[in-house]
Amino acid sequence: MTRVLVPVAVLDGGGVSPGLMSLLGTVDVTVLGYHVLPEQTPPDQARLQFEERATSALDDLSQEFRAAGGAADHRLVFTHDRQQTIQRVAGEVDADAFAVTGTTGDVDRILVSLSGDVDVDRILSFVEALIGGRDIGVTLVLAGGSQAPGDDVTDAATSEGTDAADAADPRLEAAVGRLREAAIAVNTVVARDRSAFDALIDAVPDHDAVVMGERAPSFRSFVLGDESERVATASVGPVLVVRDRRDSDGADGADAGETAASDE
Amino acid sequence: MTDEPTGRNLDGDAPVAETVVETAEATITEDAELERSIGLSGGLAIGIGTMIGAGIFVFPGLAGGEIGAAAAASFAVGGVIALLVALPTSELATAMPRSGGGYYFISRGLGTLPGTVIGLSLWLGLVFATAFYLVGLGFYALDALAQVGITVGAAPGAIVSAIAVVAGVAFTVLNVTGTENAAKLQNGIVALLLSMLVAFLGFGLLEAFGFVAVDTPPGEAVDVWEAVPILSVAALVFTSYLGFAQVATVAGEMKDPGRNLPLAMVGSVLIVTVLYVLTIFVATNVFKRDALLAAGETAMVEVGRALLGPAGALVIIAGGLLATMSSANASILSTSRAIYGVSKDALLPQRASRINLRYGTPHVALGMAGGPVIVLAATRQVQLLAEVASFLHLIMYGLMCVALVAIRRDRPEWYDPDFVVPGGPVIPVLGALASFGLIAFMNPLSIAVGVAVIAVTAGWYFYYARDIELKGAL
Repeated sequence: MTRVLVPVAVLDGGGVSPGLMSLLGTVDVTVLGYHVLPEQTPPDQARLQFEERATSALDDLSQEFRAAGGAADHRLVFTHDRQQTIQRVAGEVDADAFAVTGTTGDVDRILVSLSGDVDVDRILSFVEALIGGRDIGVTLVLAGGSQAPGDDVTDAATSEGTDAADAADPRLEAAVGRLREAAIAVNTVVARDRSAFDALIDAVPDHDAVVMGERAPSFRSFVLGDESERVATASVGPVLVVRDRRDSDGADGADAGETAASDE
Repeated sequence: MTDEPTGRNLDGDAPVAETVVETAEATITEDAELERSIGLSGGLAIGIGTMIGAGIFVFPGLAGGEIGAAAAASFAVGGVIALLVALPTSELATAMPRSGGGYYFISRGLGTLPGTVIGLSLWLGLVFATAFYLVGLGFYALDALAQVGITVGAAPGAIVSAIAVVAGVAFTVLNVTGTENAAKLQNGIVALLLSMLVAFLGFGLLEAFGFVAVDTPPGEAVDVWEAVPILSVAALVFTSYLGFAQVATVAGEMKDPGRNLPLAMVGSVLIVTVLYVLTIFVATNVFKRDALLAAGETAMVEVGRALLGPAGALVIIAGGLLATMSSANASILSTSRAIYGVSKDALLPQRASRINLRYGTPHVALGMAGGPVIVLAATRQVQLLAEVASFLHLIMYGLMCVALVAIRRDRPEWYDPDFVVPGGPVIPVLGALASFGLIAFMNPLSIAVGVAVIAVTAGWYFYYARDIELKGAL
């Protein structure tokens, strides 16, 4: 089963919008209630004072998620470093994606970014599981500077269309084919001369949520902040970040510890 | 022996106890997890950042002024004692990676009375140390003013007090209201300081061995290579070695504590010991005893000026301001852990560990740290503040070593340290003897103040928390 980690700033009025909740109705959810503390405060001290309040809020949230469809549980973490906590818990619960919560109503159409060096296969399987036969359309975005193998398209013009015909990229074509096979309505946007971020943000209007791949931290993300956070800020809506596990598949299997031993 | 703390305090509160699971990345309690977010570099930055402010920038003038080049031996003695204590502390910390550090080990190893005394005197010891760093900051700020051409006429002492008090208020307010994580800043400051010092000491050593020649002013007084003065100066400058125990107070937040705690504690002691000895060597090579004595707290500024001209003086002033600030800030940070550890065990009213909702900071604990710091900083008594801080810490150090021996003998089921001090009881016993022994070489007034503090904390135990039983509980 596909699992999504939904981090919520549980004591700072963080919540999950109804749209995101119903979008995630087809998958299992782990609600990660976190509370970030300044370094002057020992996390344990905050726990003693806030644990009860936080736990009851999380119980309610996971109740609502269960009502929306999938199985849901929750974890509560007191931390100094939000990013580290999300990464750790995502690894421990073996989540396929984590959410950056944003506001949205009912989701009709989601935007899926395939730009850059991301795990396309995983992103597509995740999108299929997420849509799960519902009437939700997908727009695939591919921006310039893509490092896809066999990327020999030299035309630098921006092309947009509702058809896969003008998307000459083999990666995009394969993706479109695969989603159509799963009976999902697909559009494409190709922006050769834009950065992945700009192309994605330009395409956001008319979409209710964004799915993107996780990328390795770079100098850019160090200076400007995490890419998914920036997308969430710019797009207002929720962002689902599909975790990249191409390097750590073996390690994750061992960590999950469920059937790993019998598989080997 | 039970695994659970028992008893109630005067307010009827019992110690908070529960079973937790420690992993390398988090502490997992029944309903929640506590992320470990401080890495090895963060731990080293806390240790080194707390220590070098005092040892490099405040003491060389005072110590060199008393016994000249022999002060290098005093710093070496201090370093050896710190190392003898850092090893046992590492073993205890890897077995009990909890907030509160020394307090936690002693209350579990030796019982509630020593625990209360140490928990409260760790808090007060940190208060004395912070006040001392702030007075050092005041002296450097005064020199900085002089450097930019503002001369203070009538009462330079009052100006130092005023600066120290203002800085104390500012640190407390910043710690209560600041929600930005200053940890990365602290790491950066420590890295900057270390590179400045390495460059400066490198040049100083070249000069000392005659590769570079500068005019060193002549001096008359000779160095005092005698055991008693060396040890008495060691007792004074021991304040420059208090930082490694501050690493233990954040043990609950260190990643992979079994590896990082020993490395951070032992590593920071070794690094600062080398730096201190070299600094004294360079300082006493440039200036003789009487010149250092005249220059006092900011003698290093004159050393910098003699070696590298006005630029050298400027570097040392900037370094001194940064280092004393980082020492004070790191100490206030560990004070809030110390108070929390004690109040969690119901040895202080639980109010003390309240967190305010607006900023998420423990404002009561920070106020309990900042308030007395400001009062003490106003006294401007560098030596007294330093020695009382050392006294209170040395008592804790000695008792930590005793606690290690006791806890190894009792072997509670949960005691399973990742790091074990080699050589059986030899190192902890030497550490305890050295810690208690060094106290004997202190100024009688400092000892009297320290004993008074201990007596008050013991009185508090009998008044407030007599029924609480912590020995052997995890």
